[in-house]
Amino acid sequence: MTEDAAELDALRNSIRRVLTEHASRERVQRFVKSSDLYDKALWDEAVNLGWLALSVPEDNGGLGLGMNGAALLYEELGRSLAPVPVLGTLLVAEAVAAAGTAAQKAAWLPDLASGAAPASLEVIDPKRRAPSVRLRRRPDGALVLSGYARDLLDGAAASVLLLTVQGEDGALYLVLVRPREDAVTVQAEALVDRTRHLAHAHFDDLVLPADRQLGEVPLRAGLSDELLGHAALALACDGLGLADAVLTLTVEYLKTRVQFGKPIGSFQALKHRCANHKVALESVRAMTYEAVRHWAEGRGDAAARSSLAKAHACDMATVIATDAVQLHGGIGFTWEHSCHLFLKRAKLNEALFGTRAAHEDRAAALLLDPSAAA
Amino acid sequence: MTRRFDPIAKKNDLEAFRHEIRAWLQATIPPNWHETMADADERRFVEFQRDWFVEMKKVGLGTPHWPKDWGGPDLSLRHQVIIFEEIAQMDAPTADLYTITLYHLPATLFGYGTPAQRERYLKGALERNEVWCQGFSEPNAGSDLASLRTRAERKGDSYVVNGQKIWSSFGAHADYCLLLARTDPNAPKHAGISYFILDMKSPGVTVRPIQQATGRAEFTEIYLDNVVIPVENRIGNENEGWSIAQSTLSAERGLIIFEHSERLARMLERDLDAARKGGAAWCQDDEFRRAYVRIVADMYGLRALIRKMLSEIEANPEMGGALMPPLIKLHYSELLRRYTELRLRIGGLSTQRREPVPMAGGYVSTNLMYDFLWSYAWTIAAGTNEIIRTIVAERILGLPR
Repeated sequence: MTEDAAELDALRNSIRRVLTEHASRERVQRFVKSSDLYDKALWDEAVNLGWLALSVPEDNGGLGLGMNGAALLYEELGRSLAPVPVLGTLLVAEAVAAAGTAAQKAAWLPDLASGAAPASLEVIDPKRRAPSVRLRRRPDGALVLSGYARDLLDGAAASVLLLTVQGEDGALYLVLVRPREDAVTVQAEALVDRTRHLAHAHFDDLVLPADRQLGEVPLRAGLSDELLGHAALALACDGLGLADAVLTLTVEYLKTRVQFGKPIGSFQALKHRCANHKVALESVRAMTYEAVRHWAEGRGDAAARSSLAKAHACDMATVIATDAVQLHGGIGFTWEHSCHLFLKRAKLNEALFGTRAAHEDRAAALLLDPSAAA
Repeated sequence: MTRRFDPIAKKNDLEAFRHEIRAWLQATIPPNWHETMADADERRFVEFQRDWFVEMKKVGLGTPHWPKDWGGPDLSLRHQVIIFEEIAQMDAPTADLYTITLYHLPATLFGYGTPAQRERYLKGALERNEVWCQGFSEPNAGSDLASLRTRAERKGDSYVVNGQKIWSSFGAHADYCLLLARTDPNAPKHAGISYFILDMKSPGVTVRPIQQATGRAEFTEIYLDNVVIPVENRIGNENEGWSIAQSTLSAERGLIIFEHSERLARMLERDLDAARKGGAAWCQDDEFRRAYVRIVADMYGLRALIRKMLSEIEANPEMGGALMPPLIKLHYSELLRRYTELRLRIGGLSTQRREPVPMAGGYVSTNLMYDFLWSYAWTIAAGTNEIIRTIVAERILGLPR
């Protein structure tokens, strides 16, 4: 094992240890019954441990581990079903690091990287839609936003929103909003999966200082692809983690549940389904880790691989979580058991940031079409 | 005057080693071999395989993993990976006829053979191109191999063998056979089996080809009627054949499946290249596009899994990667089925016309219907996928028997 790999392995183990305690199955069950938007105590733990700084560049006060570091955090968060707004925060931090001016990086990144400012953005999708928030500029340079932002990931928990808006020149811009200071009401929308939520916000001629526009130029097309790829890999890793956890849970149950005088895990019909799940899990894991590595190394095929990982890993996780409920029988269908929590997060992951079909179409365009790089 | 190639001399520099192999392949792969091997009869196929094996031996690549004492260059796993990467990339023929000879025979004799057996049979393979086959399965001992009933009775300095073996690849062309037979019918089934070297020219040996669903007949049945095997041709102790057979079966260390996975990857690259050049009508169909990229994703997963296993073996030659072969076998074989099926769906009626079957092209030749049918070789042979699933469930997931 190389030094880097050993270091990442140690990091993964330390994250897993913390989550085993602070995002135990019982605690997630309690959270699900509460009306909280996210697990504040777990978030504080993550903040203390510097998890939000893992992928932020070193120049901006982060640990500089890039996607290699973020990926293992996402996988462990999926494994424990952790209800914390990590994905939105890391995506917004990446956007600020990539597109912000020096002054903006200095102003915004420390709070994002420390976790003092949980952040959110609208869910993006390979099949882009035009933004519904409009940007006008006053003669004094101030920005005026009007419109409706929707599908803000964990948006009601965020103290920073990153909006993609359309300017009067037709170009797209990124704008940073601090909902509390700017008096913006962010309305939470409950999801069936209680470990995340979405939110929306209205902007009725909201006036913001000129320096809230991220960078000095319109959004470059490449940046939204980078954010989409980051989100795709994040959800693929989340899916890996939760699939591994729910398969382990199921296999343990099959070893102990006795019917007809023997453990039901000795019945071949059940064994073979578990074996198929294991093959799918390990092959998708190998594929996803490689996609993460290609992304971190900036390889030419990283975008296609990120979409393939998203499509495949989220699908695999859904298949395993769906069958986990069935393999548990009646107990798996109860609210008290955790199976449904895995199933619901898997289903949400599948739909977030683009469906399987949307990502397969994106990968196909990148791999098959004449303009595709060889 | 062609240049002489010597990849082994460059083995300390992996890139130079790779380049030398590539240059050698470019100069040596028989031109138009796909055409000359199309519908080739058995005799021409066997000649072709022997010639190719001889070419490989000339540059030390015939037996790359054999130790120096036995005439091999003793190359590391990493070198062998490079050899197969280049073989797949350059679309060289397979050396199918020699699979048992190159992997299973040496693994068995290095571990359990007598000095005299090694001297005689390893040299025979190396110097006289002798071909070996495997006599393990029987009509009533397939997945349940240990229930085999071919009987070997000790009579003085010999054993007298009676029974029937099946699914022996290239049995009709083999000089020798690695044979399992029951020496103690009263012992528990795993404990009464011994391991023998069978001379295929012995009186009482009859080989019959099995014509397969593909129309070809690589597999054979071997009938044994009072065949005499001298005691010195037993490998290991009497009744200890089962555990020796286990090491024989794990002999190839993932390299066979690595070669085939590299060939599959190369085929997909060719599909993608053709698509990018705009020549493929199916690329306009959303359903095919999605199905195709799913195959690509699975291929990425397969290659990454195999590389993980190989690097674990490299790090720990005794125990490394031990749990991975069943996962890889299931994934590769099911992927091969899915890929060949998809190519048939894309190709439609044109794939149903009888086309010549290319020999020595591995599992992705260019004959789509043949490749689809031949993919059963991977889902059934070496333990049906159903048996392998049970192994995954019990040995990897720890589910009870």
